[in-house]
Amino acid sequence: MKLSVNRNIGAVVWIAGLLVPLVASNSWISILSIFAIYAVVALSTDVVLGRAGMYDMGHAVYFGVGAYVTAILNVQYGVPILWTMPIAVVVAAIVGMVLAAPMVKLRGDYLLVATIGFNEIFRMILINDVGGVTGGPDGIFGIGVPSVFGYSISSQEGLFVLNWLLLGIALVLMNNLDKSRLGRVFRYLKEDELAATTLGVNARYYKILAFGLGAGLAGAAGTLFATQLATVSPSAFVFMESVTLFAIVIVGGQASIPGVLLGTVLMFVVPQVFRDLAEYRYLVFGLAMIVVMVLRPQGIWPRRNRPE
Amino acid sequence: MSTSEPTLLALDNIGISFGGLRAVDQLNLEVKKGQVVGLIGPNGAGKTTVFNIITGVYKPTDGRVLWKGEAINGLPPYRVAQRGILRTFQTIRLFSGMSVLENVLAGKHLRTRQTWWAGLLSTPAQRREEKQLREECMEILKTLKLDHVANEVATSLAYGIQRRVEMARTLAASPELLILDEPAAGLNDNESAELNKTILDIRDSGVTVLLVEHDMNVVMNVTDHIVVISFGRKIAEGEPESIRNNPDVIEAYLGKDDDEDEQEAFA
Amino acid sequence: MDIFLQQLINGLTVGSIYALIALGYTMVYGILRLINFAHGDLAILGAFIGLTVITGLAGSGGAPANWIVIVAFVLAVLVVAIAGVLLEFTAYRPLRNAHRLSAVVSALGASMFIQNGIMLIWSPQTLTFPEGIMPQTTYNFGSVVISATQIFIVTVSLLLMLALYLYVNKTRFGTAIRAAAIDQDAARLMGINVNKVITSVFILGPALGAIGGLFIGVYYRQAVFDMGWIYGLNAFIAAIIGGIGNIPGAMIGGLLLGLFSSLASGYISSTWQQAIVFGLLILILMVRPTGILGERVADKV
Repeated sequence: MKLSVNRNIGAVVWIAGLLVPLVASNSWISILSIFAIYAVVALSTDVVLGRAGMYDMGHAVYFGVGAYVTAILNVQYGVPILWTMPIAVVVAAIVGMVLAAPMVKLRGDYLLVATIGFNEIFRMILINDVGGVTGGPDGIFGIGVPSVFGYSISSQEGLFVLNWLLLGIALVLMNNLDKSRLGRVFRYLKEDELAATTLGVNARYYKILAFGLGAGLAGAAGTLFATQLATVSPSAFVFMESVTLFAIVIVGGQASIPGVLLGTVLMFVVPQVFRDLAEYRYLVFGLAMIVVMVLRPQGIWPRRNRPE
Repeated sequence: MSTSEPTLLALDNIGISFGGLRAVDQLNLEVKKGQVVGLIGPNGAGKTTVFNIITGVYKPTDGRVLWKGEAINGLPPYRVAQRGILRTFQTIRLFSGMSVLENVLAGKHLRTRQTWWAGLLSTPAQRREEKQLREECMEILKTLKLDHVANEVATSLAYGIQRRVEMARTLAASPELLILDEPAAGLNDNESAELNKTILDIRDSGVTVLLVEHDMNVVMNVTDHIVVISFGRKIAEGEPESIRNNPDVIEAYLGKDDDEDEQEAFA
Repeated sequence: MDIFLQQLINGLTVGSIYALIALGYTMVYGILRLINFAHGDLAILGAFIGLTVITGLAGSGGAPANWIVIVAFVLAVLVVAIAGVLLEFTAYRPLRNAHRLSAVVSALGASMFIQNGIMLIWSPQTLTFPEGIMPQTTYNFGSVVISATQIFIVTVSLLLMLALYLYVNKTRFGTAIRAAAIDQDAARLMGINVNKVITSVFILGPALGAIGGLFIGVYYRQAVFDMGWIYGLNAFIAAIIGGIGNIPGAMIGGLLLGLFSSLASGYISSTWQQAIVFGLLILILMVRPTGILGERVADKV
């Protein structure tokens, strides 16, 4: 059973990751923290894009909604960080479903353009401080530290463990998705929507659900992102971020858990490490996207058809 | 087959236009429980369009589709499927990149109870159900002699096998009415003889069948009742024997249509 | 009323530029079903090349001579057309049979590459065009002002669009382009060299785009490396509004979008102009996703 071998390797790697703070420096811990958060967002993008096959190029919106919900609730209303997470998840999921509801009937490319539109409108709402709660172009500062059973988690190590736990939960959920009717229905819709509906699949329901789940998970990552940086600003949730998430899924491998994780490393972590390249960074980045696609059109680590 | 069986499906004066083209016009058709009904006609007669209307893929411009007396025209395809009407496609539509078993599991969609959150949490009940679904699907694959390819990628298999997989997928949904769109297309002689037997087995298991087919061998051997359409209109119907000798039907096939295959089919 | 007329004139100018750029999106989409995300950046590359030619040949001070401006346009068109062909050859052709999204990501990478290439070659800052590239004459009708530049841009754009329309609809090769857009395989069977058609589309589209990009430069008298994204996006929206894959649709969509966004910024809010444009797009997608003139892509059961 290949599946369980992969899963066991995954579990070992995850536990090994949990021990990294014992040996690594603070800067590495914070890079791994950021990796964990973006990996969750990338996995959540994959739910919509790679698994349900809907061209979502505005996923940073839901990540941003989660982050801003936490920032606003914590800074303005003093709600403890971890209490904001379920609210962030629910609000992001609702935003995702409401935006998706009129759009899911659209053919791929139209949906793609509509989601770009959502992302731009979201950015403008943040920058123009609609409702006076987003803090405008500067965003919101001074987000507190989470506490668990009365213990404040203020160290890099503590935050890392929190982020790593969410990644673990996301990985378990994705793994379960692969073995459930829900995961199969997403694939049926992706491969042939008409055939799926003639077998009784309510396409609209499941597509909106895919957006809700993907957005909700991104919202949870948003909470931890706001906590990790102690600040949120519009620039972290712009169209370019959505493009990067989109590219992670396609470059890594659609519906492939190791592929998406590897994609996250390449698209988010490597640029962090190679800051020395400075202004050449994005030139190389763009070139790399072309080269990877030409050499591996299915992605670096495509999903394999595993015999059951 | 006794004609006193209740009517399952009835098309009541169905018509549909695409732009200016009248693809189906004033069509009446009845399928009784337990029958195997054949819908035949020259290429472009509108047979697949009729299937698309029945299964909710197209909405008819006028007329009604009645399922056990209830109008189902205008319902989306998934609701039609919920009522027990399942179909195959003329151009096989298997889920590419997925195994035969995964394809057949799609047919189990309506027969599955697990909620989406039970799936995400992988509850013990959900895992039990998954195991059971797989066993049931393997049973269906066995009866169609497909169990040896259960884990192969469905779309990589030979054409004739893919047709059987598609049929297995619909059978997994335990249909009341099975609609087959040219099930013999692309099959060799052995496969099409086997298909005859399969269709009769399906009927004997209590499933009503409506099929479009060009292979007269299949049509004449398995159907109880045949409806012939040409240019969207019904031109004849009756028992296979009477259709074979109906001059209107022969003219529709031979006189106006010069497709070689059709001529051979009736020769 | 005067404000309305003034916004109408301004909108018509911007709209004809959108239309020029939109043509490149729609032609590529019509044949390859690919959103060429790098197209807006190619157009802006045209603006930068034009800027370099003008400042290089005219030196500092004084208005550049007419022939310099013509050389600027010609060189911008040539270089960008070559870039377009190279782009297709390296980034898209190898992916023609791959999953559609692989080509989309390749296009996004190409956009990033061109954008940052422009930044590295020219400048991360906004560059200004010298004065007097276009005649400075303005015509006043009451309080409505029309500049010679606007007349020039609208006239040349309309002529180019007419020429393209005639080329695609009246010539033999134009017929081949339309045939390939409807069904590539059938076109190939009819003896049409589809590769040649695709190459030609990657010459025509970027060439028109380069002219549009340089128009943006001389109209606003400035250029910055990353403006290809917003102009490209607007032009793409224009293509969708007109009906993606439809050449006259792109022209109409461009003009309408220019007028709409100009009126929106004049009457509703200039801060929210872009959001309003996206709102319009989303509305159109909900009501009539195939755009005003419809599209050539049909789903078949």
